[in-house]
Amino acid sequence: MNENEGLLSSGWSRVMRNKRYIFWFYILNVLLAWFGAGAFNNQVHQILDHSLHANRLVNGFDLGVLMETFSRPEFGPKITSAAPAMHFAFFFLLMTALFLPGVLQGYASTYRLPREDFFRACGRNLWRFIRLMIVAGIVMGAVAAALFGLHGVLERKAAESTNELLLPEVQFAGLVVIFLVMTALRIWFDLAQTDVVLSDQRAVRKSIGSGFRHMWRSLGRLLGSYLVTTIVAAIILVAGLWVWMKSVPPDNIVGAVVVSQLILLFLLIPRFWQRGVVVSYYLHNMVEPIAVQPFAPAPVAAPAPTPVIQSTPPETQEA
Amino acid sequence: MKIRWMILFFPVVSVVIISVLVKEHGANAASPQTVAAPASKSAAVAAASNNSGMLAIPDSTLAINSPKPMSERVVNYEIDAKYDAAKHIVDATEVLTYHNLTGQALDHFPFHLYQNAFQPNSTWIREAKIAGSRDVSYEKWEAKEYGSEEIKSLEVVGQGDLTSQVQYIQPDDGNKDDKTVVDVHLPKAIAPGSYVQFKIAFQTNFPETQARSGWKRDFVLGGQWFPKVGVFWHGAWNCHQYHAFTEFFADFGVYDVKLTLPQFEVVGASGVKIGEVINADNTKTVTYHGDDIHDFAWTASPRYKVKEDGVFQGQMGPVQMRILMQPAHWNQVERHERILRESLEHFESWYGPYPYKTITLVDPEPDSAAGGMEYPTFITGETSWFAPKGFYELELVVEHEFGHQYWYGMVATNEFEDAWMDEGINSYTEVKVLDSILGKKTSIMNLAGVTMGEREEQRLGYIGVADLDPIAEKAYDYYSFNSYGGITYGKTASVLLTLESIIGEDTMAKAMRTYFMKYRFTHPTKEDFLNTIQEVSGKDLKWYFDQAIYGSPVMDYKVLRVESYPVNWYEQKKSAFQKEDKNTVYRSYVWLQRKEDFVMPVDVEINFDDGEKVREHWDGVSRWTRFTYEKKAKVESAEIDPDHKIQIDRTDFNNSYTEEANPKPARKLENYWMFVTQWVAQALAWWAV
Repeated sequence: MNENEGLLSSGWSRVMRNKRYIFWFYILNVLLAWFGAGAFNNQVHQILDHSLHANRLVNGFDLGVLMETFSRPEFGPKITSAAPAMHFAFFFLLMTALFLPGVLQGYASTYRLPREDFFRACGRNLWRFIRLMIVAGIVMGAVAAALFGLHGVLERKAAESTNELLLPEVQFAGLVVIFLVMTALRIWFDLAQTDVVLSDQRAVRKSIGSGFRHMWRSLGRLLGSYLVTTIVAAIILVAGLWVWMKSVPPDNIVGAVVVSQLILLFLLIPRFWQRGVVVSYYLHNMVEPIAVQPFAPAPVAAPAPTPVIQSTPPETQEA
Repeated sequence: MKIRWMILFFPVVSVVIISVLVKEHGANAASPQTVAAPASKSAAVAAASNNSGMLAIPDSTLAINSPKPMSERVVNYEIDAKYDAAKHIVDATEVLTYHNLTGQALDHFPFHLYQNAFQPNSTWIREAKIAGSRDVSYEKWEAKEYGSEEIKSLEVVGQGDLTSQVQYIQPDDGNKDDKTVVDVHLPKAIAPGSYVQFKIAFQTNFPETQARSGWKRDFVLGGQWFPKVGVFWHGAWNCHQYHAFTEFFADFGVYDVKLTLPQFEVVGASGVKIGEVINADNTKTVTYHGDDIHDFAWTASPRYKVKEDGVFQGQMGPVQMRILMQPAHWNQVERHERILRESLEHFESWYGPYPYKTITLVDPEPDSAAGGMEYPTFITGETSWFAPKGFYELELVVEHEFGHQYWYGMVATNEFEDAWMDEGINSYTEVKVLDSILGKKTSIMNLAGVTMGEREEQRLGYIGVADLDPIAEKAYDYYSFNSYGGITYGKTASVLLTLESIIGEDTMAKAMRTYFMKYRFTHPTKEDFLNTIQEVSGKDLKWYFDQAIYGSPVMDYKVLRVESYPVNWYEQKKSAFQKEDKNTVYRSYVWLQRKEDFVMPVDVEINFDDGEKVREHWDGVSRWTRFTYEKKAKVESAEIDPDHKIQIDRTDFNNSYTEEANPKPARKLENYWMFVTQWVAQALAWWAV
């Protein structure tokens, strides 16, 4: 087993030991999306519920009817549907930031983390995580802007070529590079987050520095692990949509709901897996060893002839 | 008569006759000079008429499958052009022979100089900036967008050099900066029935592709590239400025065009190729000839891959299908040929024969504004390197542009004033043909379970702009580009599809064929088209045309309310849990409303909960109506236009009402929306936290 596989399997085992986190995040995801979709739902029910024309949506996917639905005045401006959905998507992001420290603490733990410890980790690291998010946002935003700017320049250059395929090739290659760079940055801040939580690091800048050094030092291993998990996510999405399309009849709403929600549930796993990978990496490579004074027995006048009572050393006790 | 007298007599008589003839000829030859300032118009007309006695429009049939000309030929263009591929400039000479069939003397001739539209202060750009255009937004001006068309010299045979007489005119909007039309006054008018010949030297500077003309990288589409004379129509010259939404209008005739360009260029053009000469300076000269056409376009690119072995056996003879493809699209060449062939089959079968010997289909440079354009016997398609098989955009474009060979190419309506008669009628036939080839509900897309039909797309284009403009409006008077597109294409197609429900699909098909066969190679008006439909159907359709074609009222019928209650309701004392008696008689009402101003008789189907269906008819004149029933059944649903023949109703959802809500369609959409929302939230959290 190479190091990469070690990280992946170790990370995976942490995810599997703590499946409940995925479940709770999924519930959060569903609930927030439900609130976000409320306006949309009201509008479509108002237009479709009493119309025979709407049946064309049930027995297939008639794009024309769908477009007509969205163009109805009763439906209102698209923003009235899209805005709440986006607000709740952003809310999910904040909730993720709030509860993530507890998840990281749980992944690092060798036992089932008590609820109070989970929330204690969340509360203790909330402000640190917000600071980390701001720094990550600035760094990733700046790098993404620069990369997409460069990508645009290359696109324009490629568009001048008489080889039509050059443009899509440049676009694809550019997006791959952007993805790799942004993934590396994500690894950096994932390491920093893990360091903040597991080292109880108040000075976020130290965790950012430490995260960067380790990201740089172990970029190949970590990037490889992240790529594998991302590919798994892509496979889940594509395979899930394929199953949805091929095996769920168009008029089977319940089947569609089940399949679509299973896709979304499974789609959460790869990102948690990445968290597990980072926690494993942290525990193996980033934890600073605790300096232990070598045991120097005090001089004893005379050895006692009584039997020795053996005790467990503190390091082996469960944390 | 004695032989010696004959010997003497004939020479004397011959000398007398010859001397008289010589005197007359001398007088004729001298007349243009001597009538420099004719005392009267009729004298000048007579003089010019005599002078043009040697000119004629060729009656060639080289490019058509017909033993004789099919149109009343008015013009003969002989163009000798040299294209500088590096500068995108054409230097050319044009000899235009014009046959005055107007029935009156003509003392001035307007010419289109279309490429001058692509200048910052032209009417075209001004309109495009405020109302939109198909390709470019013109937020900032770029030098490569500049185009020009300049007459270097203009001579009228027998009347001398008239270059100084060439004047820019702006008949539509008075914009003095617009140089898309020039007018040339002739010292001597051209008599009815006679000919006049213009010899013009001009230079055309193409812009980067705009409005389906110009260059992109090393590709060029030469459309609207030479000085083109206007059309004398209904007693006056019709030569509009080039507008952002308008297309073209020209007389039929014969085109002989020589193009000299770099040897490496692959060339396609209107008409048939009749010669190619390799020149010493790394150029070649290709010669094309077109009969019974009213425009000439060409294209060149060093990278075209050509398929020209396809032949369609038409009703009048074989038609060579020449397809010029981009190399990256070569795997789509069979799709292009298939839809072209099927379009030819359908049009010949439904409307009439395609008489030309060639049809050239060009797959233009990617990302150029040259896709989706029609010129006589020459069309451009539109596709990209990624064209999934269930997505029929390329089929749609090819079919549409081919359809223009009929509705524009042969039935040559005035595209400036009656754009709906080419784009709209063509959109209608496009729906019919694509429905037949690709399926009624799948003619746009049939991909991964997602479907869409062309008639639905046309209707959607219309309903968004339904209350902005009538169909019968000059193309340059539309509110915006969207309105022009939605009304001209979408509404016309929808109105004609709805007309099928009034006169019958077969009658409509017969009317379309009659219209084509009667008006091919002419310039019909909207009345010609509408009267043909009335004549063939035997119905007075003025009420419909007044609203649908000439007016802009919107149609929106609605099932306003449905209600059923027991007749003896006052005796009912059942609790809510008791089942209703099967013998209960219900009084049921169905209210229908005409929400907008378009009045049209409609059918209604009322469904009762015992399975019975009742059809009613409402003339739609009043704002609302009510149907009442007393039956042992309650109304379950009511639907206006149950056969779904009306395409112009703005809202199909309110055309029916079910007493019991069916939440299934909405739940399906809810699920999609939830999926998207959740997925977006997850993706956001993936990257941001």
